[in-house]
Amino acid sequence: MVRLLEIEWLKVKNYAAFTVLGLFFLLGILGANYAVFYTKKNVIDKADPTGLIASASPYDFSHTWQTTSYVSGFLLLLPGLLLILLITNEFTFRTHRQNIIDGINRQDFINVKILMALIAAVVATISVMIVALIFGFASATSFSLDRFESVGYFFLKAISYNMIALLFAVLVRKTGFAIGLFFIYMGFENILSAILQGLSMKFKADYNFDIGNMGDYLPMNASDGLLHFPENTITNMANNSKIMPHDYMLVSFLLALLYLFVFFIWSKNRVIKTDL
Amino acid sequence: MSILTIENLRKDYGRVQALRGVSFSVPGGCVFGILGPNGSGKTTLLGIIMDILKPTSGTYKLFDEVPDKTHRRRIGTFLETPNFYHYLSGEKNLAISAAYKQRGAEDIPRVLEMVNLTQRKDSRFSTYSLGMKQRLAIASCLLGDPDVLILDEPTNGLDPVGIAETRELIKKLRQQGKTIIMASHLLDEVEKVCTHVAILKKGELVATGNVDEILANEDIVEIGAMPNTRLEEVAKQMNGYSSMKLNDGHLQLFYPVGTANVENINRHFFEHDIVLNHLQLKKKSLESKFFELTN
Repeated sequence: MVRLLEIEWLKVKNYAAFTVLGLFFLLGILGANYAVFYTKKNVIDKADPTGLIASASPYDFSHTWQTTSYVSGFLLLLPGLLLILLITNEFTFRTHRQNIIDGINRQDFINVKILMALIAAVVATISVMIVALIFGFASATSFSLDRFESVGYFFLKAISYNMIALLFAVLVRKTGFAIGLFFIYMGFENILSAILQGLSMKFKADYNFDIGNMGDYLPMNASDGLLHFPENTITNMANNSKIMPHDYMLVSFLLALLYLFVFFIWSKNRVIKTDL
Repeated sequence: MSILTIENLRKDYGRVQALRGVSFSVPGGCVFGILGPNGSGKTTLLGIIMDILKPTSGTYKLFDEVPDKTHRRRIGTFLETPNFYHYLSGEKNLAISAAYKQRGAEDIPRVLEMVNLTQRKDSRFSTYSLGMKQRLAIASCLLGDPDVLILDEPTNGLDPVGIAETRELIKKLRQQGKTIIMASHLLDEVEKVCTHVAILKKGELVATGNVDEILANEDIVEIGAMPNTRLEEVAKQMNGYSSMKLNDGHLQLFYPVGTANVENINRHFFEHDIVLNHLQLKKKSLESKFFELTN
């Protein structure tokens, strides 16, 4: 497998989109968190001296892991996009066939792509940890691992996004279609998620029937639902009003794992059992 | 040892039957042509052997063993189109192929030289002409000096010089004792370079065997006279021909290749008081042979 990864490296190291998207993503994590950090410190705190919106800095050491994970989560589209490009390239150039002809089997081909999805998620997670540390210390607080589980949720979200991108790539094969479908599906799921959230609130209000936010039970939203911005006065008010359905984190977590398993099996079967 | 044995291979695409139970075997050391018109199932067959396509039923063996990736590494294969990373140079593409084959990395300069691409080895693949792409694919097949080559229409898209060079190369490889399996729709090509042939037609095996036997050629001598009533009777007194038939008022005499002697035929009829007004030596065209076999 290490040898196969070395070959993947030969493929990507001269690929311009790899360098560009990779840099965008890493700088994006730093930039997006800096924007939030800066806004909180220089805009909100000045306009809201009473601390109604945010009593504590979102980047002090009781919150930095959670805030950085939440903010960086929006950028996970980029590694997904990169994976779609790299995998659909193989289909476009028909090198997926040539790789197998030259001497790997179908399992090798898909396994190394899944491994790349995993590595991309690990790199993203490590970047988030470094950025969380930078802003944590910049907030002049002392080190703590409070809410470090958010980084784990970020990793789960990263691998989920990467695997769904990989699945679209092996199902659709055409670069443009796969990228289009990835975005359309994400938009569709967010709309559906909003409708389901409304329904969940209605069930709770009308029938006193609380099964949690059903919007968080969809394939991409399951891992999204694990990450929130740290609670502040406003979110506390919403939670205390008891309008919002209960947040069953464990259900979302288990569903996210289940979906991940489905993406894994589906993409493997697609490559192993059909004509290439 | 058989290099390749296929047994009752079938492939259906929905209602279309691309292969309908094909069986044959390729002995070591031969140049084996798979001949058939476009759409006869040649590429489908080779795709199955390379595990690119899944057969509907049937089995195949490579080197008399159940095939896996290690067998494919021992075969230089060019299937249908040159498949390379467009944004990488020719040389880097070959490095990737060699890495998958786990052989031939040190061989890259040699194979580039063999296909005259040394000067362009640092250019991106996307800048290559069709012929250069094709030659790079052949170079990739030669990496690590494999004992077996599978070439799918290797001269397709090459200019006449490229075609001649490729055929020369195949002959040279054969002299080195390599086994070559080659798909082609060009009968003339198969006849020039192959020792064995399998002929496919709409997914069915029409014939397989030695090229000399399957594609046996004949010379045809066409004669005519006025009146032509005694032609057949006098012709029967000659020997050396294999068969005769009346065609359009002319008599056709069939001879094994190179044995028809027009002068002797003319003299024979003259001595029997027949003056021929038509005497023509025809080589049977390969195309007509091809139609005969596949129609």
